[in-house]
Amino acid sequence: MSLRQKLLLLFSLTVAAAVAAVAWTVLVRIREVFERRDRDETSLFVSQFQREFQHRSADVAASIDRISAEERVRNMAFELVQSSDASPFLNEAQMLAQDARLDFLEIVGPDGSIVSSAQWPARFGYPEPAANNVAQTSFLKREELSDGSTPLGLFAVRVIRGAEPAVRLVGGVRMDQNFLADLPVAPGMQVGLYSEEGGPGRAGRDAVHRFDPKRLVGADGVVPSAERYAALIERARTSGHEASGILYLTPSRQDSVAATAIPLKNSDGLALAVLTVAISRSGLVAEQQQIRTIAYGVAAAGILLAIVFSLWIAARVSRPIEQLARAAEEVASGSWDARVPVGGNDEVGVLARSFNHMTEQLANQREKLVQSERVAAWRELARRLAHELKNPLFPLQLTVENLARARQLPPAEFDEVFNESTQTLSMEIGNLKKIIGRFSDFSKMPKPELERIDARDAVSRVRNLYAAAGEDGPRIEVVMKLEEAPMPLMVDPELIHRALSNLVLNAKDAMPEGGTVTISAGNRQHNVEIRVSDTGQGMTPEECERLFTPYYTTKQHGTGLGLAIVQSIVADHAGTIAVESCEGQGATFVITLPRADA
Amino acid sequence: MFRRFAISFVFTLAALGATARTRPHYGGTLRVEVAGDPWQRPSGIARRLVYDGLTQLDPSGALQPALAISWEQDNSFHRWQFRLRPGVRFHDGTVLTSATVVASLKASCSARCPWDAVKAVGPLVIFTNDSSMPNLPALLASDQFLIALTANADGKTPAGAMGTGPFQASDFKNGVLALAANENCWSGRPFADSVEIRVHRSIRDQWLDLGLGRADLVEVPAEQLRQAQQQRLSVLTSPPIVLLALQVSDAGLLANVKVRGAIAAAVDRSALYNVIFQKQGEVTASLLPQKMSGYSFLFPTARDLNKAHELRGGLATGELTLSVEGEGAMQLAGQRIALNLREAGFNVQMAPVGVQHSDLMLRKFLISGNDPSAALERILWDADALVPVTEQTSADLYKREQTILENRKIITLVDLPLGYASGARIRDLRVRADGTPDLAGTSMEDAR
Repeated sequence: MSLRQKLLLLFSLTVAAAVAAVAWTVLVRIREVFERRDRDETSLFVSQFQREFQHRSADVAASIDRISAEERVRNMAFELVQSSDASPFLNEAQMLAQDARLDFLEIVGPDGSIVSSAQWPARFGYPEPAANNVAQTSFLKREELSDGSTPLGLFAVRVIRGAEPAVRLVGGVRMDQNFLADLPVAPGMQVGLYSEEGGPGRAGRDAVHRFDPKRLVGADGVVPSAERYAALIERARTSGHEASGILYLTPSRQDSVAATAIPLKNSDGLALAVLTVAISRSGLVAEQQQIRTIAYGVAAAGILLAIVFSLWIAARVSRPIEQLARAAEEVASGSWDARVPVGGNDEVGVLARSFNHMTEQLANQREKLVQSERVAAWRELARRLAHELKNPLFPLQLTVENLARARQLPPAEFDEVFNESTQTLSMEIGNLKKIIGRFSDFSKMPKPELERIDARDAVSRVRNLYAAAGEDGPRIEVVMKLEEAPMPLMVDPELIHRALSNLVLNAKDAMPEGGTVTISAGNRQHNVEIRVSDTGQGMTPEECERLFTPYYTTKQHGTGLGLAIVQSIVADHAGTIAVESCEGQGATFVITLPRADA
Repeated sequence: MFRRFAISFVFTLAALGATARTRPHYGGTLRVEVAGDPWQRPSGIARRLVYDGLTQLDPSGALQPALAISWEQDNSFHRWQFRLRPGVRFHDGTVLTSATVVASLKASCSARCPWDAVKAVGPLVIFTNDSSMPNLPALLASDQFLIALTANADGKTPAGAMGTGPFQASDFKNGVLALAANENCWSGRPFADSVEIRVHRSIRDQWLDLGLGRADLVEVPAEQLRQAQQQRLSVLTSPPIVLLALQVSDAGLLANVKVRGAIAAAVDRSALYNVIFQKQGEVTASLLPQKMSGYSFLFPTARDLNKAHELRGGLATGELTLSVEGEGAMQLAGQRIALNLREAGFNVQMAPVGVQHSDLMLRKFLISGNDPSAALERILWDADALVPVTEQTSADLYKREQTILENRKIITLVDLPLGYASGARIRDLRVRADGTPDLAGTSMEDAR
């Protein structure tokens, strides 16, 4: 990762974190405000609804009051008391309930038994314990019906005026879907009633209770997603107090409600049912989402701007450093003329000036070094030439001098000396030519003519050439170790042969007492590696280091150009050559050439 | 002298006027309203106006000839032959023959007949049975065996109801069944030219129409007789001829006679009689009413809840279903019985209206005629438990009833009357022995 990228990342993360922190703080605060407003609205609606509910209770009591005050009802009560015959009034409660639009109405005689029942006409003569709750305005009660059901009702009890002993009316309305439908509710409010026939009322609050979603009914039937209310209803039912909470009816947040569960208790304080008031939070959630969307948009724009700004800052900061880096790379690659522009007087400017000064110094030093090396090379070349040429020149001189002295000898002896001298001269001149030829060869390396060959063939050719070379000298064994897999090379076969031959000859020269030359070749990933090893004395690390320097030699009569030529050939084939050696353990030359594509 | 003559003249005129008021007039239309279906058995009002039986009961309950003029038994009541009245024609003119009678009888009781075979031999209709049929003539007077034309002379099925009765069906439109007088009725032309029966009319609306003069005859259920009297309606009632009884299945746990006995002991008859049926008729624990048998009081009617618990013995009976024949007070009575039985530990649920088969059935049985044996056999026939009743003395009948009731398959509750209220135009209205009004003998005050 570049410096610019690092700077960009750093700046961006910093700004993004800051923006995110601000956005989060704002959103949390907004949510708190909305939730408080939601709670306030919910409690307001719930209290309004409770007032409505109380009004309904009062309406029930008022209806029973009106009935008890009616003339015909009072007459009926009077006749009932006078005659003690309840049979004529069997259907009275049904008619009264129909007129007053009550779901439940029972006329209870002085003895506490039912005279007439609207909801269960056949129940006449049976006692009605609820008739004793005269003092209460209204109360909740489960009413058993002929079909075995026990619906919940809101009841009131009144004494019919004028009759002594008292004849009472027990009437009420059924708390069901219709009751809920009649209650005025605010827009977005949904009212439900959870009532289990014989459940909460009969089993008691400590009994094991299993929530049945079908029993939670609203004005339009079973409340949708009723199972979500289970925990809230259970909490209200068991605690006997209101329970509130946010309910998520579907995975969508907009389908959430602020719900309140109100336990409806009978006169004994036992929760007979639970009334749920749910206020939709869709509007609130929509507002929240709108604000959140805006916040996210602003944050995203801020982050985008921050990235752009960070790009500019990072570019501005990193550009001089990048120039310095590029200049340093140029210097490293040998371009000593690399310079960086100097701008400003800050640390980067100082660094640029120092870099330019450094490269200038380096260039000067290099120039001096090249000059000194060139001089040294010329000196070395002169020394070599002098040394090389001195050796044949000395016999030449002696031979010429000997030939000159031989003119004093008789012709026969002179001829013999002359012949010997001319032979010697020819031989030494040949040596001189040979020396000059080597120098010429080194200066004129031919351009490689590439062919596709197999390394195994090249190695085999060398091995075959030198396998019998030791017959006249020390015993040298040439061993070849080749992989079976093909080792294709795109090389000039003659130059490679020449290089390998040089290495084998060097190896043989390194083993005057005889030994083994091992030539091996093998595939190494994308290259072919050829190793030439001897079992000679080996070389010191210093010798190894200078081995490929032209004119350097460890041999008594070497020109020091052999390995230089080998290195030149290998380099011309985009390969490398290295030497592995320890003193006394022989040496190994390793040539690595790129393998030709299949 | 003149004074004496004048007084005599005034008295003579008064006597003539009185005579004129008592003489029935022909003509006019009788407007009748009913709550149910006028063709429905057993007390559908139109059936008795359109059809006749081989025999009939007069208002006193005595058996009288109708389409058969005579009958005689043979082989100890195993064979009966009825001689048809000659010259009787159906409303479409088809002659009444023994073949048409046999066809009608076969159609009316194809599956369950009180005889094994019925055949036509000349003017005779002959019934044979493996067991004796001592009360067959009385049984043939019942509503089920009224004679209807099943196929006319061309062999085609008549389009509508075709009988030999005093009225013939003429039209049914807008809920009103119109019946026209049968001019050639074998029993004589009825006084009214026509009868209009408005069907499926609620009792309240019937009474309203009667009060407004839009109806001449309306129904008064037993439980509303007292109310009708309080409203000063002109009410005509039959004797308590409808037996309200609980028919108990003998399947499952109810196969245990003790369980059925517990049900019988748990039922509160007095509540049914005193409150639901407003003290009309009489409480009964016997099949035949006290007036007919004279021994009904010997069967205890009081509720005994402790005995019910004792007989049930803690047996779990599961859920029992109770179906009720009829609506209104009958449903209320059913609910009351269910409530009574719940007190005795039975879980009883009311079956929906219209369901016929259940563990307990609250049914009405018609008690007609003045022959106890025949009436008892008719009840057993209706209860799908027909056995010949040959007993004639009260003691024998009592023993027979006791035997029948001991198995608690029929728990009798209340005997109820049938009632009607008539308007001011109606004259000479009488109730037949089967509780239906005799409209053929009824005339109208304003008819000319």
